[in-house]
Amino acid sequence: MHATRSLIIWLVPPLALAAVSVAARADDEVAYFETHIRPLLVKRCLSCHSAAEGVTEGDLSLDTRLGWQEGGSSGPAVVVGEPEASLLMRAVRYDDPDLQMPPDRKLAAEEIAVLETWIRRGAADPRDGVPRPAAGPPPSDPVAGREHWAFRPLQHPTAPSVSDAEWPLAELDAFVLARLEAEGLTAASHASPHMLLRRLSFALTGLPPTPEQIARFVHDPSSLAYEHLVDEMLASRAFGERWGRHWLDLARYADSNGLDENFLFREAWRYRNWVIDAVADGMPFDRFLAEQLAGDLLPHDTLDQRDRQRTAAGFLTIGPKVLLGNPAEKQKMEVADELIDTVGRAILGQSLGCARCHDHKFDPVPTADYYALAGIFTSTQVMEGRYMLGEQRVMERLVGIGEEGEAADDAYENYWRVVRPGLETWKKQGGEALTLLVSGAVETPDAATAFQKIVDETPDAITELARDPLVPCETRIQVQRLFLRDVERRLTSPPAIPPRVMSPVDRAEVADECIRIAGDPDRKGDHVPRGFLQVLSTHSPEVPADASGRMQLAAWLVDVDGGAGTLTARVLANRVWHHLIGRGLVRTVDNFGRTGEPPSHPELLDHLATQLVAADWSLKHLIRQVVLSRTFRMGSTHDAAAAAQDPDNTLLWRAHRRRLDPESLRDAMLSAAGTLELTAMDSTVNYLGDQATAVGANTNRRRTDFQCRSVYLPVIRNDLPEIFESLDFTDPHKTTGMRPQTTVATQGLFMLNDEQVMNAATATAARVLAAHDDARTADAQHAALRMLFECVVGEPPAPADEAAVLDFVDRVEQVATAAGSESAHSDAWTQAVHALFASSRFQMVE
Amino acid sequence: MQCHQFTPVASRRGLLRASGCGFGSLALAAMAGRAGHASPAAPRLGPLAPKPPHFAPRAKRVIFLFMWGGPSHVDLFDPKPRLSVDAGKPLTGADVGLPQADKQLGTILGSNFAFNQHGESGVWISELFPQLAARHADRLCVIRSLHTEGTAHGEALLKLHTGQSNLVRPSVGAWVSYGLGCESDSLPAFVTISPPRGHGGVQNYGSAFLPAIHQGTAIGSAETPIASATVSHLTNPRLDTATQRAQLDLVQTLNRNHRDEAVADRTIDGLIDSYELAFRMQSTMPAVMSLADETPETLSLYGVDGSASDNFGRQCLLARRLAEQGVRYIQVSTDYTWDHHQKVHDGHVAEAAKTDRPIAGLLDDLARRGLLDDTLVVWGAEFGRTPTVENGDGRGHHPQGFTMWMAGGGVKGGLTYGTTDDFGYAPVENGVHMHDLHATILHLLGLDHEQLTFQHAGRNFRLTDVYGNVVQDVLA
Repeated sequence: MHATRSLIIWLVPPLALAAVSVAARADDEVAYFETHIRPLLVKRCLSCHSAAEGVTEGDLSLDTRLGWQEGGSSGPAVVVGEPEASLLMRAVRYDDPDLQMPPDRKLAAEEIAVLETWIRRGAADPRDGVPRPAAGPPPSDPVAGREHWAFRPLQHPTAPSVSDAEWPLAELDAFVLARLEAEGLTAASHASPHMLLRRLSFALTGLPPTPEQIARFVHDPSSLAYEHLVDEMLASRAFGERWGRHWLDLARYADSNGLDENFLFREAWRYRNWVIDAVADGMPFDRFLAEQLAGDLLPHDTLDQRDRQRTAAGFLTIGPKVLLGNPAEKQKMEVADELIDTVGRAILGQSLGCARCHDHKFDPVPTADYYALAGIFTSTQVMEGRYMLGEQRVMERLVGIGEEGEAADDAYENYWRVVRPGLETWKKQGGEALTLLVSGAVETPDAATAFQKIVDETPDAITELARDPLVPCETRIQVQRLFLRDVERRLTSPPAIPPRVMSPVDRAEVADECIRIAGDPDRKGDHVPRGFLQVLSTHSPEVPADASGRMQLAAWLVDVDGGAGTLTARVLANRVWHHLIGRGLVRTVDNFGRTGEPPSHPELLDHLATQLVAADWSLKHLIRQVVLSRTFRMGSTHDAAAAAQDPDNTLLWRAHRRRLDPESLRDAMLSAAGTLELTAMDSTVNYLGDQATAVGANTNRRRTDFQCRSVYLPVIRNDLPEIFESLDFTDPHKTTGMRPQTTVATQGLFMLNDEQVMNAATATAARVLAAHDDARTADAQHAALRMLFECVVGEPPAPADEAAVLDFVDRVEQVATAAGSESAHSDAWTQAVHALFASSRFQMVE
Repeated sequence: MQCHQFTPVASRRGLLRASGCGFGSLALAAMAGRAGHASPAAPRLGPLAPKPPHFAPRAKRVIFLFMWGGPSHVDLFDPKPRLSVDAGKPLTGADVGLPQADKQLGTILGSNFAFNQHGESGVWISELFPQLAARHADRLCVIRSLHTEGTAHGEALLKLHTGQSNLVRPSVGAWVSYGLGCESDSLPAFVTISPPRGHGGVQNYGSAFLPAIHQGTAIGSAETPIASATVSHLTNPRLDTATQRAQLDLVQTLNRNHRDEAVADRTIDGLIDSYELAFRMQSTMPAVMSLADETPETLSLYGVDGSASDNFGRQCLLARRLAEQGVRYIQVSTDYTWDHHQKVHDGHVAEAAKTDRPIAGLLDDLARRGLLDDTLVVWGAEFGRTPTVENGDGRGHHPQGFTMWMAGGGVKGGLTYGTTDDFGYAPVENGVHMHDLHATILHLLGLDHEQLTFQHAGRNFRLTDVYGNVVQDVLA
């Protein structure tokens, strides 16, 4: 269709020339430009060559006539009337490997044809004006970018003065209250002890409060008692499990590769448990980052420390990768890209991946900065050749742990790669030789030749005695049988998988990267020294020539004097606020760039970040400050006037009501049932084969029937436990600082029909009934309900709820009894408990 | 630049739109007092509410017949006599016009299948698909010039289903659900029948950063016979419907008490609504999934008769039932059975026997019910197979050039589009990249692939990334 249209226009001008005026002809030429050329330039060229947009790659702008007349660094783009002499044509025809435009994809043949026609006919272009850069530098300019709020130095603000001096319990409260007062809003009153305890417990440990904690705190809800509870929880392993899981969301932790080939990450759990231990132990965040980015390079005093640090660096190896049919160079760049994106989002709140193909369109990250970081990661080896599922593959790098670990790992690999194929050959060849011996036919010339052929091909497959024609045949048969029995034994009892960790190492040859034009691994541009983001570097840290630069990267990320430390602190402080208060001060928690939202309370954010740095990057210290604040302790009471003025509660006039995440939901149900086991777990995937997903003949699938805390359940990419899949768990392929919050019917189906939910309801009902005389009397009923509600929703039932549950139990029990059921009573209670699990009271935290 | 990662919704009505489960009168009935057992269906609100397309659509829905493993184009739709003439000879880069002329591509394997032209249009179809050839040749728009990336199944499956393999992106069906919503008020917009668990698994029907409501609802999985397949958590194994309704009424009473205390809370409102929709799905889905009310004649038309075609016949029939209910995007997958690295001849005979009658029956059934005019049927796989031999009598993976066909809503029937070289190695004319196919499918549904965007992590994303051209020549 296009071809036809352009053909007509091609034909018209020569016919028209003779008859019409020059002006009319000029109109035709402009029409040709408007019809064919302008849309093409807009669609395929101006995103990189527009002075008005501030992007003039190669100093060429194509948004004005003068732009292509003057041309870029290679000279004028168009020679009027001479397509063959025009650089533009050379570029779009892709004949010259060094000059191919547009770089992402060649123009269609008809598009190239119209450009040629346009140039031949005189390159009419009505776009007057000089190629004028937009006001100011382009968005990717790193120096100008320092003015963006997130990149500015920390302000160290002092607490503002407030009218209600009694209200603030912590310094940070003044920042919140000052805004409320300025807007004429009133803060909600204190949460009730029940409400506050439930909120605190889920926030710090991901578990509901114990009945003992409830009783204690309701009896003495003083600030001192509260502080004591806070410290108790901060010191618990449950704290590490809860806050470790928050980090695992950022670290895109998983027990399998996902993407194209879902191979098991058999050893990933060691990294998961390292994270939990480090968070529980209160490891400062700067150290926490250093071990994950460069643990394999850090000095160590003991083997144990070496292994822990290597485990931590597993952070770099657990990303998803396209494993099959991926050329090595492409895979190397993809692995680096995944790491840049992960580090960028998780630590800096920046979408650095955008700068892979072009200078960042919104943020101050030129492509050169991307490839400066890429060099660090391409100088790091995270993959290696390994023998798996019957062939040599490129897989995540593993290293043995413990004193003999590396040797054991080598032996294990060697068994599968070398020893076992040899054994299989011996079994086959040696078996054939034995058959010949047993048949007694070795005496015949033909068989003797066949026997000798086996001996020649695989002498080791036949024992020396069995080979010897002078030895009696019976003996030859006997020794060969013994030999083959041993071969069989070695085949059926492969060595156990030695303990290993996923861990990277610096490549033997570390090197800088070249810019890859349009992100294409095969098209190399300028060479860029390894380094960091210019916008966050007021002085340039040096990367040693003989190291990847990961150590320097880890140091730069927390360097508050001239490095990225201020941004890292802001991003982390905001994440803490997000998890504790329910919403970040910067709501786009993974995007502190220009397309993210600015902070609702900028001074407060800087105050928190300053505190974090001042407390030597102690996460626990910051969390403690926040939960001790009055802001955290507010109730969730509605206020019509405030809601009208600030419907999203941005200014924090009350506590945000929150949904329980699926881990807390499951842990809480199992807690109520009395079946939750609080001990830490090692692997929950060790029964799986190398394929983590049940495909084809492999019916072995991840289990979810463990009674452990949810943080230890298998995280198989593309095959999450059903409760995770239904209830907005993170997508473990990528960094997620804020999980999606959806309310969809499939969640209702899950809560109403899931077997494990019903099992928990059954056990909970049994426990409650057993504790209160089977709830046969009115008093016992009342007490049983009180226990049930405290277990499940953390407080006694409201009268309306109590009435509704009792009414339900009575009716259901009557119907079932009439139908002859012998378990009508306990069934009715079970169904009531199940209903409570399904209710918003349980699924939400006030 | 405004960030759209958040959609603040101030009103209850806004919530219904945002929560994915608003459904009007039922929810209002629930607010007024005890929830009723059933209420007349109301126009659907929420993110699955039908949305106007960008321009007049040629098709309202898609049925994608996915042949997992990769059928051999040179044995089915793209006859290459040279393969038989040159069988046993080496194939080199020069033969197929590669820049690396000396590149050894393997040894040519001839096709033993007879090809004939069919219908008035003379579309070439091999003897493997006799029913399709006899009854539907003039309906098929055969594209012989597909090409994609990914020589391994996983990468190619993700390309086919999401347009991208190394990053997690929404699937085609999720984009369609997001773009058009659903015509049914109690079914999802995107249903996938017997989806693969491997090679990307759920990612192939995932919603990625689109709202979760747009993820495909899976019925069974590839390795399970469809007759015993279920939708997870659709039924309660312990409670009868009346008891469960009573239980749900208690849940809703507790929820409403909670909401009354909270005075206003969009999430609790959303939860209340989602439970009612869940309860309705429980009764709607099983009814759609049961084939009990189909006539023997229809069952036979699809090959549901206990023979080799029984399973795929049931899948195709189920696809038609979902199409009738207004589901927008329905995928039907074979098991992982088209991957014939060995015995490509026998393997293809077997797989064709399983699928020919069901596919021909589906097209007949859609046509006689007046559904084919606005249903786009797409047949294809992640890649084709090599013109060269593997393991003596098999063919390898071949993303460089292969065949897919479309039929029904808005495509030219009886058209053969695109040409591969003499060996079926790569397109030499009118190449159609996977992105082009995606752009074309969206176009037929009335969606502009460059306008159908979603803002995520600070920028707009689309199915075709920065690629894709609508293949104008195949449009009717």
